[in-house]
Amino acid sequence: MSSQAIKTTTIQREQKKFILLMLAPATILMLALTLFPFLVSLYLSFTDYSLIKPDEVNGIGVKNYATLLNSPDFWTSVRVTLVFTISAVAVQTVLGVGIAALLHHETRQAPWLRVIYLLPMAITPIAATFTFRLMFNPSLGVFNYFLTSLGFPPSAWTASPEFALFSLILVDTWQWTPFILLIVMGGMAALPPEPEEASAMDGAGPFRTFFWVILPQLKPYLALALLFRLIDAFKTFDIIFVLTGGGPGILTRTLNLLAYKHGIEFLSMGYASAIAIIMLIFTLFVGQIFLRRLNLFDLKD
Amino acid sequence: MTLAYTMNRRSILLGAAATTLGVSLSPRMGWADSHAAILDMFKSADIDWRAFDGETLVVGAMQHPWADSIESALPIFEELTGIKVTLTKQSETEYVAEMPIKLGAGSAEPDVMMIHALGQFVAAGWAAPLDQFYEDPSLFDAAWYDNDDMFAMARDFPTQPDGENYSMSITAEAQTLFANQKSLDAAGLDLPKTMDDFLAAAIAMKTDMQAGIVMRSKSDGTAGTWPCGGFVFSYGGEVIDADGACVLNSDEAVAGVDMYGRLLKEAGPLGVGNYHWVEVLNDFSSGAAAMGCDSSNFATDISDPAKSIVAADAIYGALPQAGSKPIKANIWAWQAGINANSTKQKAAFLLLSFLNSKPGCALSSANGLATVRNSAWKSAAFQERFGAQAATAALANLNSGDAVIFKRAWFHPKAAEILDPWGIAINEVATGQKDARTALTEATDKINRALGA
Amino acid sequence: MKLKSRLYAVWLPRLILYVFAIWCLFPLYWIFLTSLKTPVQALSRPPMFWFEPTLDNFAKVIQNPDIWSYFLSSTIVAGGSSLLGLLIGAPTAYILARYKFRGRGDFGFWLLSTRMTPPVAMLIPFFVMFSWLGLMDTHIGLILAHVMLNLSIVVWLLRGFFAELPVEIEEASALDGDTYFQTFWRITLPLAMPGLISVGILIFLLSWNEFLFALVLGDSAVRTVPIGLYSFIGYQTIAWAELSASATLLIIPIIIFILIFQRHLIRGLTMGAYR
Repeated sequence: MSSQAIKTTTIQREQKKFILLMLAPATILMLALTLFPFLVSLYLSFTDYSLIKPDEVNGIGVKNYATLLNSPDFWTSVRVTLVFTISAVAVQTVLGVGIAALLHHETRQAPWLRVIYLLPMAITPIAATFTFRLMFNPSLGVFNYFLTSLGFPPSAWTASPEFALFSLILVDTWQWTPFILLIVMGGMAALPPEPEEASAMDGAGPFRTFFWVILPQLKPYLALALLFRLIDAFKTFDIIFVLTGGGPGILTRTLNLLAYKHGIEFLSMGYASAIAIIMLIFTLFVGQIFLRRLNLFDLKD
Repeated sequence: MTLAYTMNRRSILLGAAATTLGVSLSPRMGWADSHAAILDMFKSADIDWRAFDGETLVVGAMQHPWADSIESALPIFEELTGIKVTLTKQSETEYVAEMPIKLGAGSAEPDVMMIHALGQFVAAGWAAPLDQFYEDPSLFDAAWYDNDDMFAMARDFPTQPDGENYSMSITAEAQTLFANQKSLDAAGLDLPKTMDDFLAAAIAMKTDMQAGIVMRSKSDGTAGTWPCGGFVFSYGGEVIDADGACVLNSDEAVAGVDMYGRLLKEAGPLGVGNYHWVEVLNDFSSGAAAMGCDSSNFATDISDPAKSIVAADAIYGALPQAGSKPIKANIWAWQAGINANSTKQKAAFLLLSFLNSKPGCALSSANGLATVRNSAWKSAAFQERFGAQAATAALANLNSGDAVIFKRAWFHPKAAEILDPWGIAINEVATGQKDARTALTEATDKINRALGA
Repeated sequence: MKLKSRLYAVWLPRLILYVFAIWCLFPLYWIFLTSLKTPVQALSRPPMFWFEPTLDNFAKVIQNPDIWSYFLSSTIVAGGSSLLGLLIGAPTAYILARYKFRGRGDFGFWLLSTRMTPPVAMLIPFFVMFSWLGLMDTHIGLILAHVMLNLSIVVWLLRGFFAELPVEIEEASALDGDTYFQTFWRITLPLAMPGLISVGILIFLLSWNEFLFALVLGDSAVRTVPIGLYSFIGYQTIAWAELSASATLLIIPIIIFILIFQRHLIRGLTMGAYR
C-alpha cells in the first residue's frame, strides 16, 4: 500500500475513534437513563397495572389503547391539547420574533431590557403561577380590578368556559416567550450584517428588510425554538393544574393532565402509560415532519 | 400575650393540657413541675413506653394543622420513650403525588404517615393492620386509652369492610355553615335553618360587593365533592349504595346537587367554578361573601384577626335541613397509619397511640387542633383557640354525620375514580354548563363503568 | 416627514419594547408588593397598591434556615447540571455539526426524542432506578436527571453555534499537526465560549425551576427552591406573604447571575461576526 493510502486509512480510523469517543458520554448517559423508563412505560401500557394491586399485573394486549381511542374524554383532551399548544406557541413565536427584531435595533437600555425580558423564566414557576391565581381571582384579583376601573365588566377568567383556555395561554405566553426571544436574539446577532445593509441601501424599509432578508436567515434558529417550545407546550402541566385543574368541566384538561389523573390519582399506571405512549408517538411524528420539512441538517443524510 | 410571670410557649401548652385533664396548677408551679405532671399522665398507663429506647421514626405529613400541632408534643414523646422522631411536612400536592410512588416502590419510610385515601392505601397493602398492636398488652392499655371518649365517627372511620383497622382517626371535622353577622343584620335575617331559607338568604344577601354564598366547586375530585356530599346526604341520597353501585343519579342526589349548584349560580361569586378551599376561605375572610359552607377547621383561620377581617363577625351553625329529612352534614376524619413496609411498626404504634391518647389529644387540642376526643373538645384551652361558638356548631354537625354512607364513597379503593367525575359534574352544574340531572347521569354512568370494570 | 419616520423607526418600537417590559415585570412587581403586605392586606378588596409596607415577611424568611438550604441545593443542582450538560453536550454537538456519519440524522432525532416523553410515565421507573443505584435524595442524582432532561436542548443549540464557526481556523490547526481533540479543545471551544455561556445560562434556569423530578428524586437532603416554596402552599391556606417574600429573595441572585453573564450573552450572540 502506498504511504498515502496508509495515511488516509489511519486518518479515517483516528477520525472514527474521535467521533466515537466524543459521542460516548452523551450516548451512554442518555441510553442508561431513558431506555429503562421507556421500556417500562411501553410494557405497562399493555397491562392493567395499577398501583393499588401491584402484584396482579396482567397483559391485556391493546385494550388500554382501544378504550382510550373509544373514549370521548380522550378526544376532548386531544382537542384541548392541540388548541392550547398551537395557539400558545403561535403567539409566543410572533411575540418573540417581533420583540427580538425591535430589540435588535434598539441600543439604549438594551442590557436592562434583556435582563427584564428573561425574568419570567427566572422566577420560580410555583410562585408565579400562584400569583397568577391570585391575580385572576374574580373578587380579590388585580386583573378584574383593572378591568372594572376601565369600565369593563369583571371576568371569571380561569373559571369561565369562554376564557379559561385563553387565561392559560396568557400565563404560558408570559412565562415562555423569553425562551423563544433568547434563541432568536442569539440567531439575529449571529447573522452577517451585509445582506441587511444591502437591503437598506436598496431603499427597503425596516419591515420589508426584516421579512424578506432577516427572517429567512433566521429559519434554523426559529425552527429550533419553535420545535422545543412545541414539545414543551404539549406537555404543559403546572399552570393548568394550579389554575384550572382541567376545568371548567373538562374544558382545559389536556392529555398530560389526563395521564396524571389516571396515573397518580387513580393509580392506574397501565392506562396512564398508554396515554403517555400515544403522546410520545404523536410528538415523534410531528418532530419527524418538522425536521424533514425544514431540512435542519441541511444536507442529505 | 403577657403574663405576670415568664412562661415559654411550651409551658403554656403543658399548663393548658394539664388543666384540661383536671390537674390544677398553682402559679407557683414552675415549668418543670407541669412538665412532670404531663409525663406522669402518660406513665400512668400500663405500657412499656421504653421498649424501643434509641429507635428512630420518620413521620410523613402534609402541611396540616395536625402536623403543626403534634410538633410540640414530639419532644415529650422522645423524653418518655427515648425514641427520636423526625417530622417531615410537605404540601398536599407534593404529598399526594409522592406517596403512591414511594410506597408503590416499597419504601420503608416514612414509618408513620397521614393517609389521604384510605381505601386506596388499604387495597394497595400500604397500611399495616393495627389490630395486632391493639391486642398487645405491652403496647396498648385499653382502659387508660378510653375509646369511649372518642367520637363515634372517629371510631367508625378506620374500620374496613374486613373488620380490621388499618389506621387511626387523628382529626375530626364536620361541614359547618358560617355566616357574617353584619351581612345577616343588614338583610334582617337569621342564620337559615332550612335549605329553602338558605337559598333565599343567599340571594337576598348578594350584592355587587359581596356574594351571598361561597363554596367549593373546582373541577376536581377534591373540591366540591365533600361539601356537596353533605347536601346529597341531607336530601336522602347516597353516593354509593350498599351494593357498591353509584347512585348519584337518584332523585334525591339530583335534588341535593341541584340545590348546591343553584346556591352558587344564583348567589355565588363570579368565577366560583374555580373555587377550592383556598378561595372559599380567602373570600369569606376578606368579607367578599356573606355565607360559606365548608369544614369546621376553617373556624380557626376565620376567627383569627391576623388572618381575617371578619374575625369578630363570623358565626357558625348547622347545615340547613332539606324539608323534613334528617340533616346529614358531611364529616371527615384524617387518618394516620403505619407503613406496611416499615421495620419499626411497634414503635410507630406507640407514637400513634401516644398522640391519640387522652393526654396526647389534650396537648394538640391546646394548639387548636380539632382532635377526636370529647374531652379535648370540651377543654377550655381548645374552646378558646377554636372558638366556643364554632366548637358548638361543629360538634352538632359532627354528630349528625353518617359515617357509613361516607365511607362507602370516600374510602372505596377506587375513591378517586368516583370523586373525579362527580366533582366535574358539580362544576358543570355550578357554572351552568349542564343541569343537575344530565350532569349526574353522565357522571354516574362513567363511575359505574369504572367500578364495574 | 422626518418626524413621522422617526416616530415609526424609533419611538414606536421603543414604546412597544417598554410595554413588553411592563408586561414581563408586572407579575413580579405584584409578587414583590405582596411580600411587603400582611396576610390580611394581601387579600384585601380592592387589591392594595398603596399601603404601609412591612418587612416582617422578609425577616421571617431570612431567619428561616430552610430557605438557605433550598438556595444551596438549587445552586448545586442547577450549577452542576449546566456544567455537566455542557461537558457532555458540547462534544456531541461538535460532532453533529462537523462530521457526517451514517445515522447522524437518526442520532440527532433520538436525542431530541428524549425530551418528548411526558414525565408521568417516567416517574416510577426513575424512582426505582435511582433507588437501586443509591442515587435517591442525592444532589448528583438530581443533576444526572436534569442533564437527561435538558441534554437535547444543549446539543441542538450548541450544534447551531458550532456550525456557524468558520471551518478554516480549525483546518489550519489540523494542518499544524493538532489532533482532532486538540483542535476541538484549543481552538473551537474558546471561539464558542460565548455560545457555551448562553446555553449554560438557559440550562441553569431550566434546572433551577424544575419541579417534578426534584420532587420525586429528592427528599430530606435535597430540597430545591421549587420544592421548598411549595411548602408555603399549606393545607387550608396559602402563606401568600411568605411565599412572595421567599420568591422575591430567591430571584435576586438569579438577577445578579443574569446581569453578570448577559455581557457574554451579547458576545455569544455576536459570535457569527467572526466571519
